Amino acid sequence: MVLPLYGGSLPIGRYCTAALRQLGHLVEVFEAPDFYPSYKALHGLKVGTDRLQYLENSYLQVVSQSVLAKAETFEPDLVLAQAQAPLTIQALKRLKRDGITTAMWFVEDFRLFTYWKGFAPYYDVFAVIQRDEIFKELQAIGVGNALYLPLAAQPEVHKPLELSAAEIRKFGSDVSFMGAGYANRRVAFRDLIRHDFKLWGTEWEGDSVLEPYVQMAGARVSSEDCVKIFNATKVNINLHSSVQAKELVTGGDFINPRTFEIAACRAFQLVDRRILMPEAFADDELATFGSMEELQDKIAHYLAHPDERAAIAARGQERVLREHTYCARMRTLLDFVGERVPGWPKQRASLQAVEGLPPELAQDISALLDRLALPASTSFEDLVWAIRQQQGRLGELETAVLFLDEWRKLYARKTGQDG
Amino acid sequence: MPAYLVIQLARFGDLVQTKRLLLSLLGETEAEVHLCLDESLVALARLLYPTVHLHPVCAHGTVLAKLPPAEQARVLLERNVTAFRELAGIRFSRVYNLNFSPLNYRLAALFDPQSVRGHVWQNGQEIVGQWSRLAMRWSAMRRIGLNIADFWAWHHASPVPATEVNPVAKGKGGGLGVVMAGRESRRSLPPKVLAALVTALLDIRGDDALVLLGSKAELQAARQLERELPGRHARVLKNLCGATGWGSLVDVVGGLDLVLTPDTGTMHLAAHLGIPVLATFLSSAWCFETGPYGLGHQVLQANIECAPCLESQPCTAQVACLQPFMDTDIVRYLSTLDANHLPSGVTVFNSDTDKLGQTFTAKAGPDPQSELRGRFRDFLSEHLSAGQGEPSQMLNELAERLYMERDWMVPDAESSSGRFSGISSSIIT
Repeated sequence: MVLPLYGGSLPIGRYCTAALRQLGHLVEVFEAPDFYPSYKALHGLKVGTDRLQYLENSYLQVVSQSVLAKAETFEPDLVLAQAQAPLTIQALKRLKRDGITTAMWFVEDFRLFTYWKGFAPYYDVFAVIQRDEIFKELQAIGVGNALYLPLAAQPEVHKPLELSAAEIRKFGSDVSFMGAGYANRRVAFRDLIRHDFKLWGTEWEGDSVLEPYVQMAGARVSSEDCVKIFNATKVNINLHSSVQAKELVTGGDFINPRTFEIAACRAFQLVDRRILMPEAFADDELATFGSMEELQDKIAHYLAHPDERAAIAARGQERVLREHTYCARMRTLLDFVGERVPGWPKQRASLQAVEGLPPELAQDISALLDRLALPASTSFEDLVWAIRQQQGRLGELETAVLFLDEWRKLYARKTGQDG
Repeated sequence: MPAYLVIQLARFGDLVQTKRLLLSLLGETEAEVHLCLDESLVALARLLYPTVHLHPVCAHGTVLAKLPPAEQARVLLERNVTAFRELAGIRFSRVYNLNFSPLNYRLAALFDPQSVRGHVWQNGQEIVGQWSRLAMRWSAMRRIGLNIADFWAWHHASPVPATEVNPVAKGKGGGLGVVMAGRESRRSLPPKVLAALVTALLDIRGDDALVLLGSKAELQAARQLERELPGRHARVLKNLCGATGWGSLVDVVGGLDLVLTPDTGTMHLAAHLGIPVLATFLSSAWCFETGPYGLGHQVLQANIECAPCLESQPCTAQVACLQPFMDTDIVRYLSTLDANHLPSGVTVFNSDTDKLGQTFTAKAGPDPQSELRGRFRDFLSEHLSAGQGEPSQMLNELAERLYMERDWMVPDAESSSGRFSGISSSIIT
């Protein structure tokens, strides 16, 4: 999993990692955010822009080379990159040359983030959150393996909470919005201040009408606090963003992650209708609006009818848990990769970690697999990698397994005894 | 009471060459010294280092590699888990992890990375300390070299002087020992070539005893040598190939007058016991790297342009470094000790010591790297705070060539200052 250096797709990358692990896969994560402070430090140099650009590019090459080095050592079946992942085209070519399958989940609006045209052809699979138009465009630049993969929720994170009275006071209100201050929202939400209204998130500065409603001085809200806000709010407003304010409810295509996250919390939301929404939710699983007038009417209605709110929220949650989790998305993605990439995943001659061991040792290894949250069927190679992901001093059994692995590479393979 | 662990997972010769480091650690007040090694070498280690605590692990593959994979796993896990548990239970002040091998790196996972020198494992990442990185750089200039025993010993801030490592070599009256090394190895002389040298030595020295040493694998080569020798020498020959355990090998070698050998474990054992060595170094063997340690030894060193090479790579020069050993003049040289008779392509080096450790001085034949080597040893002495060299342009150039930016930009426990105090700047003190 190649995370981005920063940004909105970062938590999604982490949810995907957790989901893949839940599905029993061994995941090695490239922690690109660890490299971001050094990148930002270049901006403190006060040098000419040509020099700065040279340094930025050079640094990003180093980061990209680091991904390659990790891939070379880990030998993954799939390198899954999130949007903005620091993988250069040169690195993607190298991965292709080395026979490593690559996929990107481009969780951005392709009309706004147009840079995808530059690198999409270098991925084996390109998953997107939109349809039709982007598929045609991808086809035109030679991307045959395009997959529609809408966003999702992570039920271990996005879940109903029992909040304390203090938390309800802090995070609760009749109506709230949690998100960034895009142009359409700034105009639209002026009509909401007549309610008990709270505005959460960043980029709301300079709006004299809304500023008094902005919580935590416009600070970034953690994922944990977001879930508390969703749980504590009677009517969560979910208006998809737009960079223009002429049309407040745009009726665009993709569904934002907040839609799935609020629903997974069994919280109630009023969300603007999207083109791709009907296949994700039935009418009675989500309360929607198509205009600001409709939004106002529905806020009034649902504030007055808590039972209806609860019923819709319960059905919405059920649908998300059934179909719209990151586990489901990752399963879809891997199935697609399997269908489209011939011979994927490559078969590896591998022993199960416990195979052929006497009972006492097998028991110790099984206990180790349990500690590492790995299934009993884990191969020896995967166990080695899971141990390598551990921090600090290792115990005798973990060390002995690593030692055995290297011993096999040194001796057993040379004599053709490798299993 | 400080407890130290030395991890030496390599072979016979390497175990003997760990001596200077072990002696340096044993010389510290009340120090408890532990040695982790392959189980096949425990009996030898007991003889070499009777006061060192031994921790055998299953690391070598010769026998185990023939077992089915599951059986290998069982044996390795069963034996090593027990050994590793014992090691993890001891609070070592420092762990010297000597070999650049994936096995050593994995074994280091048992210890706090801060306490490990050499080859470190930190949260799943292999890390090479600065001293080892420096060695990788100078190994690109192999002819200057540093004896591996000294390289390991200088992980210690002040190792025992080189002169105190092994006794000055002196024959014990048991005749000539000849070490038969593996037939496949380019480092060894073929039996026919060896026979000429053995004959000359026996004739010159008047020895009336000849012992052949080696493993079972060398039996055939030993028989061939026997056939090549004149009857008068073949009659006094005792072939002990494959017939000695560690104890009897120590007894036999310890009683000899001279050991004729390529670069072998038995050569290092002879040096350890103070038995004079006459070594034949060709192909990948270079006496400044792995020559016999101590005073009183001699090396016939092949010096043709491509020497020393890498044994792992095929020879494209038809093993030209063997030619001088086939030249009848080498026998003439051994008889007369007249440098004029020494064939070209070989240099005779006498063992010597200096402030850094083991070195060699050319007795006959060329040594064009002598000056550069001297400056290199000055550079290392300064680096290790073992003494200043004479200021010179060559010294400055070596510093520029061998130091890399990373050496001074980030802290390193093995840097020239860090190895004493664990700090990266002397201003702090």
